[in-house]
Amino acid sequence: MSSFAIERDLATQGRVIAALAERALRVQLRRAQFLLPSFLLPLLLLAVIASGTSAAQQLPGFPSTGSYVGFVVSGTIMQGTLLAGLMAGIAIAGDIEGGFFDRLLSAPVHRASIVLGRVLGTALIGVAQAVLFLSVALALGADFKGGVVGVVLTITLAALSASAAAGLGATIALRTGSLSLMQNLFPFVFVLLFTAPAFFPRALLNPVLETISVANPLSYVVEGMRGALFDSAALGSVWAGFAAGIGSVILTCTLAVWAMRSRVRS
Amino acid sequence: MQRDDKTGRAEATIEVEGLERIYPGGLRAVDGVDLAVSAGEIYGFLGPNGAGKSTTVRILTTLLRPTGGHARVAGYDVVKQASQVRRSIGVALQEAALDPLMTGRELLQLQGALHGIRRAESKLRAEELLERVDLVAAADRLLNTYSGGMRRRLDLAMALVHRPSVLFLDEPTTGLDPVSRSSLWTELRKLNDEGTTIFLTTQYLEEAEQLADRVGIIDQGKLVAEGTPQELGRLVGEPGLYVKLIDESKSDDARQLLAVHGAVSDRAEGGLTIRTALGARAIAPIVRTLDEAEIEVDAVEVEEPTLDDVFLAVTGHRAEGDSGEDGA
Repeated sequence: MSSFAIERDLATQGRVIAALAERALRVQLRRAQFLLPSFLLPLLLLAVIASGTSAAQQLPGFPSTGSYVGFVVSGTIMQGTLLAGLMAGIAIAGDIEGGFFDRLLSAPVHRASIVLGRVLGTALIGVAQAVLFLSVALALGADFKGGVVGVVLTITLAALSASAAAGLGATIALRTGSLSLMQNLFPFVFVLLFTAPAFFPRALLNPVLETISVANPLSYVVEGMRGALFDSAALGSVWAGFAAGIGSVILTCTLAVWAMRSRVRS
Repeated sequence: MQRDDKTGRAEATIEVEGLERIYPGGLRAVDGVDLAVSAGEIYGFLGPNGAGKSTTVRILTTLLRPTGGHARVAGYDVVKQASQVRRSIGVALQEAALDPLMTGRELLQLQGALHGIRRAESKLRAEELLERVDLVAAADRLLNTYSGGMRRRLDLAMALVHRPSVLFLDEPTTGLDPVSRSSLWTELRKLNDEGTTIFLTTQYLEEAEQLADRVGIIDQGKLVAEGTPQELGRLVGEPGLYVKLIDESKSDDARQLLAVHGAVSDRAEGGLTIRTALGARAIAPIVRTLDEAEIEVDAVEVEEPTLDDVFLAVTGHRAEGDSGEDGA
């Protein structure tokens, strides 16, 4: 293939990914059963945690971040993006069961573009979630020492987290093709969330959870958000957050593309 | 029908040789199918549920790999050149799988993007197709407000976005009311007149008879008969003439007199059927024979064999029956 043909092909696939991302965003935002878990549920949990467990701030070893809501909002973003990823998987399984997926497969598009369109759409939802949750936290008294740069880095990490979660959701949906199975994965989001220091610092987790959290890439992403928001390496390494986020996106999207190829072959 | 300039023979747009698909578990959904569809032809693929129609279409549209045999569509191999095949074909699969939370216009524009059409051009093409399938007024409504007929028309419009040379339609009128069905048939004839080759699967014998230049009958994964509806009709035997008498009490006399014209049998609802190779040409002699015997005739009708008769003749069972369990 000539370099012109490659460029033309890349431009075409770019348009395909953008169109599929637009569809993912548009349809997900029209679906009430999506908005509830992805936007309202994390906000409710934020309100409950911020009001009910703020005394945790007094525990020895709890880092100083001003208001408790400022500390936990990273966990809220993580929760929202994981749920958005699950919803992406549910949407793919729905497309498979409803036959819309065949329409995508019968078009002359790269299989990877179909996955990446959904992942990009979910990343944009992650951005919207991060903007909303950070705004609510600011309204409730959070003071982010990292300033605008910290907020932008956090939003970028949220987009990576949503992309990785969408890649994971897509992998499971493409492997199983089962809408009901995807819907039953809801509790596992909380397992992933609570085996990362989403709402408490890692030092205050019990030893078992602390050990598990080391292997959970979400730990580094959520700590990276805190490090960025409060401009504090003690709260978390932004670089480690990006490394874990980017690594997770590459891994889960690769798995999703494999799952797609395997589905088409069968 | 397009023909090769040098040979004068019709060019095959769809060529299938020994096509096979065995599902994991051993179910042989497609079992050695051979067929060829010429450019500009409407080919009707007829069979009951589970016969292998949809599996064949899924292979020809690159959605499923065959486990044996070869298939070429628009000159491209469906396995080795799947991407080129997808560029050349339009596909409307069973049940009009459309996202209920999108509007008709959004779906058409998405389809345009999937085929690499730029946004501005895609918008114009969507408008053109909405007009063609008479959905302009409903274009900005969510799909969950569309009727079955509207969904089918939109499905067809989506298959046409990139102006394909070959159109695959899997049971396009299943579940539609007679008016919607007739409107879709009209649109398909128009498309075919414009040069589009159409491969159509159907359970409806009438649909195949109305639309198809040629018909292939598939049963239990095998192509059991193929030809024009007229050629297939001849597989059943001689055409019948239905003769209705004004005075039914004279039917015994009529039966004896008409035996010279062909095989005569009684009809359950009254009247007689005469099987004769002459077909409609036997009407005048039959009426004359009865007139000379002063037996008054109420009506004479030619009964061409239907594809249902053909199906029964070649498979041993009616097309309405369910001959498989795979839903393929």
